[in-house]
Amino acid sequence: MDATTGVSLELDDIQAGALYERPSPYVGTYLLLCIRDRRDGRELVRRLRRLVEPATAVGPVGETSVTVAFTYRGLEALGVPQASLDSFSPEFRQGMAARAAVLGDTGESGPERWEEPLGSPDVHVAIAVLSPDETQLEQVAVRAREAHAELPGIELIWRQDCHQLATGRTSFGFKDGIGQPAVEGSGRPPTDPRERPLKAGEVVLGYPDETGDLPPMPVPDVLGRNGTYVVFRKLHTKVAAYRSYLRARSATRAEEDLLGAKMVGRWQSGAPLALTPDEDDGELGGDPRRNNDFGFGDDPRGFKCPVGAHARRANPRDALDHEGSVDVRLHRMIRRGTSYGPPLPEGVTDDDGIDRGIIFVFAGAHLKRQFEFVKTQWLNDGIFIGAPLESDPLVGPRDGVGSFTVPQRPIRRRLQDLPPFVVTRGGEYCFAPSLSALAWLADLDT
Amino acid sequence: MTAADDAAIAPGRSVGPTSEFSLFFRVKPGEAAPLRAALTSLQDTPGYRPGDYGITIQTIHEARFVLFDDDTRLAFITSFDGPWEAYMDDFFTSGPTLALFDAVFNHVEGYEGLPDVAAVRSFVLGAEQGAAAYARNYGGTVKEIRKAQRVNAAFQAVLDHPQAAEALQHPALQPLLDEAAD
Repeated sequence: MDATTGVSLELDDIQAGALYERPSPYVGTYLLLCIRDRRDGRELVRRLRRLVEPATAVGPVGETSVTVAFTYRGLEALGVPQASLDSFSPEFRQGMAARAAVLGDTGESGPERWEEPLGSPDVHVAIAVLSPDETQLEQVAVRAREAHAELPGIELIWRQDCHQLATGRTSFGFKDGIGQPAVEGSGRPPTDPRERPLKAGEVVLGYPDETGDLPPMPVPDVLGRNGTYVVFRKLHTKVAAYRSYLRARSATRAEEDLLGAKMVGRWQSGAPLALTPDEDDGELGGDPRRNNDFGFGDDPRGFKCPVGAHARRANPRDALDHEGSVDVRLHRMIRRGTSYGPPLPEGVTDDDGIDRGIIFVFAGAHLKRQFEFVKTQWLNDGIFIGAPLESDPLVGPRDGVGSFTVPQRPIRRRLQDLPPFVVTRGGEYCFAPSLSALAWLADLDT
Repeated sequence: MTAADDAAIAPGRSVGPTSEFSLFFRVKPGEAAPLRAALTSLQDTPGYRPGDYGITIQTIHEARFVLFDDDTRLAFITSFDGPWEAYMDDFFTSGPTLALFDAVFNHVEGYEGLPDVAAVRSFVLGAEQGAAAYARNYGGTVKEIRKAQRVNAAFQAVLDHPQAAEALQHPALQPLLDEAAD
């Protein structure tokens, strides 16, 4: 029982990696497996069950974690009864590729251009191993490999390694992972003292959510309870194009940094524009007690942080409180982003052709009103900020080119001909079951 | 919300960023008079008073409650910025808005009342009917239109300045000068 909230989460049944932050620094591996044989599939689940730690087993700082999740096709391959499959959310049943048009994954980001086998019906099991260092990662990765290697009916079809860049920042150069919501009963305090921890049911199935109801949960209870939906997306970042764009529109390095910060809503150090609108403040950016302690309510026109900036779109905080049509707490996301690929060396503005970017991971109880809502209404669209033609300047999809407005006195600046800087390489909707659900899946006898 | 509820939600027609949203209810027998009284009270609340232009939900263009068929039916008709179905859960967790509607819905059939938000949600979605045709005479969201009104008011104030004609001679201001003659 959490003394402050009265909520009792069954932490010993929830996958630690689904609930808690990744380590920082980190190294990791994502694996996708295809179940060719049902019995081998169940044996795989039995072995993976032994690798997965419950949320009670991890310390206050991120440790090595193995997270196991299944696609709809994966649950089908394991022989989960149809009535149970039908009880999952419609978006999960359809899969991410089928949702592409809704999500704005079109053109260069369209499923027909995704990296194989992403988006294909062969993607059944997703395993994420995240660790503070290579040694620990290797130890766990070996065990994960052993879990599937001797099973002829299991095929490893995709692997993606990730690591925190030496800068500790994303390929675009920004500190990330700030601004995560806290969850009631998780035992982790909020980083934003202005935001009450989310009801547990926003993240974990089987508990009341922010509407006061239980989130829709697959049946039987043992399969759904203490599980969570997981979204993963491989997002290629066009770092050279991003840098070139900023450089071409800036007279000085300082102006480049400012424009970049206006797009993101934070300076590269992580310091929020809302607290330091004119210059970066490395100390603030690195201080977890202060770098998430702010709102936008005092800046309705976006002079400090543009209303269209990435971080303000992804989490408008108090900016929409007076509008009577949005409850921001219904659209919060637990994110577990990691970087892949080498950094583009400092100062380089020519594309080196190397793939680099972010493995975006979401965990939550509501695919539609959390991940899909934020992606479609706040990042892909500008209706909610009164700029229907503008999308997120950093991650928004743009078939052609877009614009981005930077409010400033005396005259706003409007950046034109904004190309896309992020391309979807693929992804999938998954379900990370509880530990007891893993045992249930392993013991299926259909 | 269940999967079945979700499947029942029809997104409705939209023009540009704005979508139509209409609800149709049956008035409980004998409740027509109190319903009219509730709507008359509503008309006196802030936001609904003539000239207020401040509906609690700031993303709707207008709202009307219409009693018809000898006061046996009630319609609620509005236009909403964005796809309304994406915002349904928000509506049902919005205390002030829901309280306002509660006073009206209490007089129609099928409404079991707060605080059972899930039941209210199901009730409202069951009353929604998509328009067969929908058109608008101007584009833009409420936010854009309010901004346009502020800009026009500012422009008119500029034109009222004694030196306005002289000030607007700069070539950069030609588009404004083109709008200044009437």
